[in-house]
Amino acid sequence: MQYDVVVIGSGPGGYVAAIRCSQLGFKTALIEKYNAMGGTCLNVGCIPSKALLDSSEHFYNAVHHFEEHGITTGKVKADLSKMIERKSGVVKKMNDGITYLMKKNKIDVKNGFGSFVDKNTVKIAKEDGSEEQITGKNIIIATGSKPTILPFMNYDKTRIITSTEALKLQELPKHLVVIGAGVIGAELGSVYARLGSKVTFVEFADGMIPTMDKTMGKELQKSIKKLGAEFYFNTKVSLIENLGKEVKITAEDKQGKKVEILGDYCLVSIGRRPYVDNLNLEAVGVTTERGKVLVDEHTLQTNVPNIYAIGDVVRGAMLAHKAEEEGVFVAEIIAGQKPHINYNLIPGVVYTWPEVAAVGKTEEELKAAGIAYKSGSFPFKALGRATASGDVDGLVKVLADKNTDEILGVHIIGARAADMIGEAVTAMEFRASAEDISRISHAHPTYLEAMKEACLAATENRAIHS
Amino acid sequence: MAIDMKVPSVGESVTEVTIAAWVKKDGDFVKMDEVICELESDKATFELPAEADGILRIIGKEGDTLKIGAAICSIEPQNAASSEKSEPLPLEVKPAVVSEPVAAAEGQKVEVLEIKVPTVGESITEVTIANWLKKSGDTVGLDEIICELESDKATFELPSPFAGTLTIIAHEGSVVAIGGALASVTVGGAVVTPSATSVVETTASAPAATAGTYAEGHPSPAAAKVMAEKGLTANQVSGSGVGGRITKEDAQKASSAPAASAPVATTTPKVAETAAKEERGSRREKMSSLRKTIARRLVAVKNETAMLTTFNEVDMKPIMDLRKQYKDKFKDTHGVGLGFMSFFTKACSIALQDFPVVNAFIDGDEVVYNDFTDISIAVSAPRGLVVPVIRNAEKMSFAQIESEVVRLALKARDNKLTLDEMTGGTFTITNGGIFGSMLSTPIINAPQSAILGMHNIVERPVAINGAVEIRPIMYVALSYDHRTIDGKDSVGFLVRVKQLLEDPMRMLLQV
Repeated sequence: MQYDVVVIGSGPGGYVAAIRCSQLGFKTALIEKYNAMGGTCLNVGCIPSKALLDSSEHFYNAVHHFEEHGITTGKVKADLSKMIERKSGVVKKMNDGITYLMKKNKIDVKNGFGSFVDKNTVKIAKEDGSEEQITGKNIIIATGSKPTILPFMNYDKTRIITSTEALKLQELPKHLVVIGAGVIGAELGSVYARLGSKVTFVEFADGMIPTMDKTMGKELQKSIKKLGAEFYFNTKVSLIENLGKEVKITAEDKQGKKVEILGDYCLVSIGRRPYVDNLNLEAVGVTTERGKVLVDEHTLQTNVPNIYAIGDVVRGAMLAHKAEEEGVFVAEIIAGQKPHINYNLIPGVVYTWPEVAAVGKTEEELKAAGIAYKSGSFPFKALGRATASGDVDGLVKVLADKNTDEILGVHIIGARAADMIGEAVTAMEFRASAEDISRISHAHPTYLEAMKEACLAATENRAIHS
Repeated sequence: MAIDMKVPSVGESVTEVTIAAWVKKDGDFVKMDEVICELESDKATFELPAEADGILRIIGKEGDTLKIGAAICSIEPQNAASSEKSEPLPLEVKPAVVSEPVAAAEGQKVEVLEIKVPTVGESITEVTIANWLKKSGDTVGLDEIICELESDKATFELPSPFAGTLTIIAHEGSVVAIGGALASVTVGGAVVTPSATSVVETTASAPAATAGTYAEGHPSPAAAKVMAEKGLTANQVSGSGVGGRITKEDAQKASSAPAASAPVATTTPKVAETAAKEERGSRREKMSSLRKTIARRLVAVKNETAMLTTFNEVDMKPIMDLRKQYKDKFKDTHGVGLGFMSFFTKACSIALQDFPVVNAFIDGDEVVYNDFTDISIAVSAPRGLVVPVIRNAEKMSFAQIESEVVRLALKARDNKLTLDEMTGGTFTITNGGIFGSMLSTPIINAPQSAILGMHNIVERPVAINGAVEIRPIMYVALSYDHRTIDGKDSVGFLVRVKQLLEDPMRMLLQV
């Protein structure tokens, strides 16, 4: 079968690319190695983790906060297997949703493992052992990423696990040791901390979510500490062993002192690597660098002009929404259009509670670049809405150019930060100034008032409610 | 304080006009009664003269249809040196509307006004600041000389168009384009008299208010895509959004202006109403933006270079023999036909390396020499003339050149050439021969320095070893920029091309 576009991988990059290709009139095929559509994001990433985060949040509130709201419950119990079951239901619903979208857009879905035969031909090895070859004028690599594991970590999927297994544990860990306090570690660590597990974070950098603005890491650590979590920063893990009923983590702190931690589960969340295993890129000569597929900045073309790559397999943040943008981008490039992605304005979100969300430059980046900036912050605890619901942890921090007042970065930690960051992204796409946002009406009472107040603070230090 | 100009009444039954072309650009200094714009009604075309001296601020865009009485532009009073050129004497012209800033000053209002480089002559695009006679923070009076400017034709003095406190923007020795900002003057309060000393304080906060904002010309995400696809840059689109931001509509309008006015253009002109009764057709078509660009560039090259042409003739027999002999084999081996283009491209590429100045171009005060030869090929496409580029022709085989020519020509035919494929050549070959031209003088493809014109091949009697023979002869023409290329090099280059073509073996042996 001859297609205009063949997409390998049905994650948020791949399936969105396929839909946009179809909208542009291309005959499109989508190859997915699993039986479920949606890739990491939908099956073992964003969606299931958010399902569990919300369940754990409900549980935590029932135990700790219902009483202050005047709700009396009996003994509240967390049934992890039921939570996992609900999560699976959510995932299934989303899987079916994508399948429906593929049908609606007349995209041919091919289930099986796709690999290159030549620059226009892809072989699909199916579950039943049969093979099919299809050809495409253009091919989009959207094969995503897998968790990074180092050999001495002895990954065994039972006690030494990655995010994939952490989303389907059969029992509640008594003591979960999380290696890496980045986004994934923070999210899943906080799920189990809220469900009652003791959680210990071991992180090589000097704070949580180290790639984000330092204020965010500090505030998040404060919140997670309230759940009883412990932290080892500047600590380098050298060995993880499964001792049967226990896991032993051997590490070294900054002074070179040996640290040993015992737990019953160890979640390794030190990052993810691009996944191009067995894709047979050698057959077509597509070049990679440490696993990343190299692409042209302006077209996302690989060195083979009719082969494109998007999402986690290429440079940039490994985020579902970044992959989606690139999916649409490549489809439009193939159609001869000239789309553009502003990589500086792709928001980053951490789904802990409180949530963390950010866009643009961090204060550390501005300092390093020598840009004269001013900063305005506003705490959630001064907000009517936050006080009413009891979610008073967090703040909004706005960084603006000292001379022009243009907003350069917005960093939020607090309830609904992930939804709030949208306002900042939109404003920054139009290069709004802090005062612009200060002069735009924000509904009351909402969490977003904190954005307006922080902008007022950044403008002339004239927040109203602080 | 600006004067708004409205579309004048042009005839009894005319209710609206279309802006055919702006003769002056936004920001240009215009003089009273100078023609600034051409308007079209359905009956006639007429010119619109400026109603005052000053800086033109365009409101209606080309292609817009405006009602009689609608605002078309405004003119901001602005002093300037006169537009007379090449008189090395201090020039001085008093703006017509000078009283306005003074009035503002009396009104106790603080205002910051920019002093821009005035238009000083037709071909002058930039001036050098020779000397500031006043410093930042100085109080300047109306018409007081504040600085001396130099163009390549003349030196002249710039009187301050306003009274107030001076803030220098462009420093001594810097080169500023016509219309570029030189300084600003804070006008207001009691500042009119040169003795006032307390003025400096007012300048501190005021400039931000009127200076162009950092976001001026910033396109929205959707506008950016539209502009990229139309090949427009931010300074070609005027932003109507907050702070001069470019909205999606701005971008769409900027690109679709010619199309929008199409209905106007198709209405039959009624010029002949009073004339003879028989049908005498003529029609008006809006020039496409590509056509306009071609027109502007060609005229610019004629005006801005010292272009002339040298000729020679080439005996095409050896190449034709070679082609006859190897045509089929070449096609079988390489999958592409052996045409004349590969010979000419290769010959030029070799000759360009022998005469590097022909392959160079002028950039400001420097000449840029290229050690690669990227040859632009002029192709007649449906939209007009386009010039895709064969990159690194010096490294290519005949077969590679032929297939690249075919690829680019097909893309040109389908209007699918990308901007990248059309920019950056170092030399151009154009073939008027395919239309039957015997001899012509091609125009240089700026910023390149030379262009080779190919022509038709005609059997002509020539003297070979004392006997008259009939040979297939092609006249070739090389137009070149005499500013950098001397006759020795241009003629030498063309003779070298002739030698290589008349004895293709030399290309192989590189002799």
